[in-house]
Amino acid sequence: MKSNSSFKIKNLSVDLGKKQILKDITLEVQVGKLHALMGPNGSGKSTLGQTLMGNPNYEIKNKNANIKIDGKNLTNLKSDDRARLGLFLAFQNPISIPGVNVANLLKTAVNLIKKKSKQQNVWEFNKLLVSKAKLLGIKQEFLSRSLNEEFSGGEKKKLEMLQAVVICPKFAIFDEIDTGLDIDALKVVARGLSQMKKQGTGILLITHYQRILRFVKPDFVHILVDGRIVESDGYKLAQTVEKNGYKKWVKIIRE
Amino acid sequence: MVQTTVTPITDYRFGFSKPENYVFKAKKGLNSMVVEEISAHKNEPEWMREFRLRALSIFYSKKLPTWGGDLTTINFDNIYYYIKPTEKKAKSWADLPAEIRDTYDRIGIPEAEKKYLGGVSAQYESEVVYKSIQSTLSKKGVIFLDMDSGLKQYPDLVREYFGKIIPPADNKFSALNSAVWSGGSFIYVPPGVHVELPLQAYFRINAANMGQFERTLIIADEGSYVHYVEGCTAPIYTTDSLHSAVVEIYVKKGARVRYTTIQNWSTNTYNLVTKRMRVEEEAFGEWIDGNIGSKLTMKYPSVYLMGKGARGEVLSVAYAGAGQHQDAGGKAIHFAPYTTSKITSKSVSCAGGRTSYRGLIQVLPSAKGAKTKVVCDALLIDDASRSDTYPTMDIRLNDVSIEHEATVSKIGDEQLFYLQSRGIKKADAEAMIVNGFIEPIVKELPLEYAVELNRLIQLEMEGSVG
Repeated sequence: MKSNSSFKIKNLSVDLGKKQILKDITLEVQVGKLHALMGPNGSGKSTLGQTLMGNPNYEIKNKNANIKIDGKNLTNLKSDDRARLGLFLAFQNPISIPGVNVANLLKTAVNLIKKKSKQQNVWEFNKLLVSKAKLLGIKQEFLSRSLNEEFSGGEKKKLEMLQAVVICPKFAIFDEIDTGLDIDALKVVARGLSQMKKQGTGILLITHYQRILRFVKPDFVHILVDGRIVESDGYKLAQTVEKNGYKKWVKIIRE
Repeated sequence: MVQTTVTPITDYRFGFSKPENYVFKAKKGLNSMVVEEISAHKNEPEWMREFRLRALSIFYSKKLPTWGGDLTTINFDNIYYYIKPTEKKAKSWADLPAEIRDTYDRIGIPEAEKKYLGGVSAQYESEVVYKSIQSTLSKKGVIFLDMDSGLKQYPDLVREYFGKIIPPADNKFSALNSAVWSGGSFIYVPPGVHVELPLQAYFRINAANMGQFERTLIIADEGSYVHYVEGCTAPIYTTDSLHSAVVEIYVKKGARVRYTTIQNWSTNTYNLVTKRMRVEEEAFGEWIDGNIGSKLTMKYPSVYLMGKGARGEVLSVAYAGAGQHQDAGGKAIHFAPYTTSKITSKSVSCAGGRTSYRGLIQVLPSAKGAKTKVVCDALLIDDASRSDTYPTMDIRLNDVSIEHEATVSKIGDEQLFYLQSRGIKKADAEAMIVNGFIEPIVKELPLEYAVELNRLIQLEMEGSVG
């Protein structure tokens, strides 16, 4: 990946129906860097992930907002185009799709997203898939099942992680990947994130708790309250949240 | 064991001569003269000729059904009821309608196969395949012929079973078929014989397998197994506007029969079929029914569970695009105790198409301990499309287990968004979801059919989805 490759979000304000959820969000993620975005419930964390990926239900309010990967503006692009430009979203509540097989979905996605030169044949791909699944503690039989059908919450999250490591995007947004995971699964997912970071993926890790950040250290931490980024700093900001919660910023907003 | 010597035919038609290379075409319209000509041309035994004529008067006496699809536009007088197959094929590749040639190309059907399906060429590798299969089968005592030949070579066997499960009086269209039937398959499997290779109508040399009024009779003797596959996914071009077949199947004690159909008649055709299996003690009968083509299909494969522990299953998948109506489903009638039935129906409607699930589960007082389950799911691709469900449960005793599940859904925006976020274009995502929806049934199809069916539905949707 190009070392000056970046994912830039500028002046993003988003409405859901009549309500404004995000207010003037500006953020830049470089390759190989991990940004944690933390905030209380209702702060707009999920909205950010969904909007960046192009969910048509969310309306970008202001015309001067832009979302760029390597200088290319995504705001008018469909979700599949954004994916092919190198963006990935691990969903907070992954939907189930009966009859759509995990392995086949991934093979299709990889073929669409990866450049022709980097594509593998079926055998190589399956080998890769099985080994990554093993690393994440995902049973091989899950790969031949219908996507997310009758998976537990934790299994769904691990599967999002598997897709991320297999697709290996330029920039990945993880929407509360840690919710619903036990400590062992958390460590495994954190390892996956570290690996991706090392391989050059720029990561936006959206989370409510700072627990996962003990296992994969962020380069930057941003606090999102009431749709606005109210503070940005290094890892110690996360430790502040662990000690005091979000009281400090919520109070400020309320005053 | 079945006698393989040909029993002499003692009843002859009188008064008509049958020159060898005579190109025969009955006049348009239906009347007793036409029926007589058909029987004479085939040189049938007297009992069959009488059977046909009786069926014809039954046909006249019955009214058109007022339920199901709209049949009022069928003009019975404007149909040729018997044409020698070579007459109704396209004269050249160029004569085929553009959509059909186009679909063959896009599905990727090999050159020779295209010509055969288009009816342009009668010569195809199937002849070679058929011959080699025949020698294997006859060693086991299995009979696999077209119905006309079956009647000629095994008249007593045919007479014993023909028209008994579906008598002419069953409904107006079984009466019609009984009067003018031609072509179809005749299969007999001796006791204990398992036919491992699926038998396909495709293999039979003559093009009568694409006939309007096919009549199929399958007899699986005790403990035997056979899988029969008919139809094909490529659209069948035919000038025929009415296709009315009858399929009767005997599944004797401990035997198993699976009958798979993929129907893709051109969209000017009425496809009205009566199919029934009689399943004896501890036997298992399965229908796998795929309906993609035709203007209107009315088809309810049934299982009559006659013996203790008999099992019947119907798997039905239907796709209706613009201007199409698929009225399909299944019937299970439990006559005996500890019988089980399962009907699974998956239907997809797109671009204003209409699918209807029509089913009947009947459990008679003699069927203690019966178990039945119906699952009917409908998927609507857009707002213009329509789906209806007409399930009937007629349960006449208490000691039974009944399950019925029905869902109607649209393609979820969330599902689409998820797939698109993985780089998949919207149209492909929709096709993936549809294929996933019908997967439980498609996975029971022989592989090449499954692949073709998925691609075909994808093509159909591409044509109609914006």
